[in-house]
Amino acid sequence: MFDRHKPLWGKPPALKQSYDAVIIGGGLHGLATAYFLARHQGMQNIAVIEKKYIGFGGAGRNTAIVRANQRTQQNVPLYKEALDLWPVLTKELDYNLMFFNCGNLNLLHSEAAMSAARMNIASAQFQGVESHLIDAKTCKEMMPALNIAEDITYPIFGAMFHPPGGIVRHDAVVWGLAKGAAKYGCHIHQHTEVTGINVENGKIVSVDTDQGKINTPRVLLTAGGYSAALSYHMLGIKLPISVLNIQAMVTQPLKPLLNHVISSGAYHAYANQTLKGEIATGAHMDAWPNYTTQTTAYYIRHQAQAITEMLPCLKGVKFMRHWSGLADMTPDMAPIMDGNHPIEGYYMNCGWGYFGFKSCTATGKYMAQFMATDECPEILKPFHLGRYAEHRLMGETAALVTYSPDN
Amino acid sequence: MALTLTCPVCGKRNGYEFRYGGEDKGPKPDDFGSSPETWCDYVHMNRCVAGIQKEWWCHRDGCGVWFTTHRDTLKNLEME
Repeated sequence: MFDRHKPLWGKPPALKQSYDAVIIGGGLHGLATAYFLARHQGMQNIAVIEKKYIGFGGAGRNTAIVRANQRTQQNVPLYKEALDLWPVLTKELDYNLMFFNCGNLNLLHSEAAMSAARMNIASAQFQGVESHLIDAKTCKEMMPALNIAEDITYPIFGAMFHPPGGIVRHDAVVWGLAKGAAKYGCHIHQHTEVTGINVENGKIVSVDTDQGKINTPRVLLTAGGYSAALSYHMLGIKLPISVLNIQAMVTQPLKPLLNHVISSGAYHAYANQTLKGEIATGAHMDAWPNYTTQTTAYYIRHQAQAITEMLPCLKGVKFMRHWSGLADMTPDMAPIMDGNHPIEGYYMNCGWGYFGFKSCTATGKYMAQFMATDECPEILKPFHLGRYAEHRLMGETAALVTYSPDN
Repeated sequence: MALTLTCPVCGKRNGYEFRYGGEDKGPKPDDFGSSPETWCDYVHMNRCVAGIQKEWWCHRDGCGVWFTTHRDTLKNLEME
């Protein structure tokens, strides 16, 4: 079984000379958009162009956490729909995405954080998303491994408990969506680099790749952390994005002990136990742009300190793997989704920062609708690029943690 | 992340002593009469160069000076 090279999504197709749409980036947003275009919008002559292999970037580097307890009225419904889509897609794709809705515990370490959480919870409940404030004792009852002692660096006051959130197996999502998109006729071209986007009279006409030219009236740029550089390099369109590195790591596998996802803004750490038993944990970011995806010992120490204060039973447990990925941060911590402006047929979906994984299903659905009908769905309208010039930034920055080069 | 920067006052120091101040975008637009697009371009928009870029840094945990330097964003190394 190991010597077969045919991937789930079929044999690599030959690159055609023209497609109805070209999607730049074979990550989750690109594959999800391709899937929804092909399956639900009836646009099947489309290509996903990926320079490396599908799932190379953020799709395979995130910590697999999904949730819908964001802050603003524009963002919450989008993430809620994304969360609701996991079980639906598991069925539709006939592929186990291993959605485990274990719930998220966002730990709070001060009265001020408790107050901020009250507002977040009220917004969530208003939008029909389940979220509660619980005290430290209840946290301890729910998760006996948690340390609620008062003599740690940041004692736990309580938590924002968001039961419908959890984890999804991120590789399964990549493979499932690729399989689904390919089944409906979409071409996935790996190891193919887009080298230029050609515009004539304000309209998209073609895309240059290292495998040849593709004529197309529509292009979607959704290349994760590389989107902003590509946008400026190929079209001269600057985006309000800073590309930072975020690191994560996993421990050796353990018996089940973390029955919820935990996160802590004060400790700059979040952790969940994967279905294999590893504790996957992520850190904050270094606040200057770079594309290295280097890992550093600094974060191993940081994670070890933070996690063992909250979960002392993990002392002495070994980290097995450590990696880094790119996060394209916008000033308001909300994504940019826009189309037909300033170029007809040019669509963009980027600036997701570290929220790209949890949102990919809903974004794919609505970006597909946008591209198929040329009409921006209501839910995506607030995310247009023009909001920065209008000085109508979204309020996601006041969420519990902010990471950007500005802080 | 390992980074060494050269402060014009203090010399080569650990990157964690510094605060990143954004890409160098040239002089500030005129206080009066500049359009919202001009301000947006100056305040928010980035080139996000994958390669060498000129950028601002502040020696926050040192002498406090603001300076520009060139750094390769693909290698995370300051240019000599």
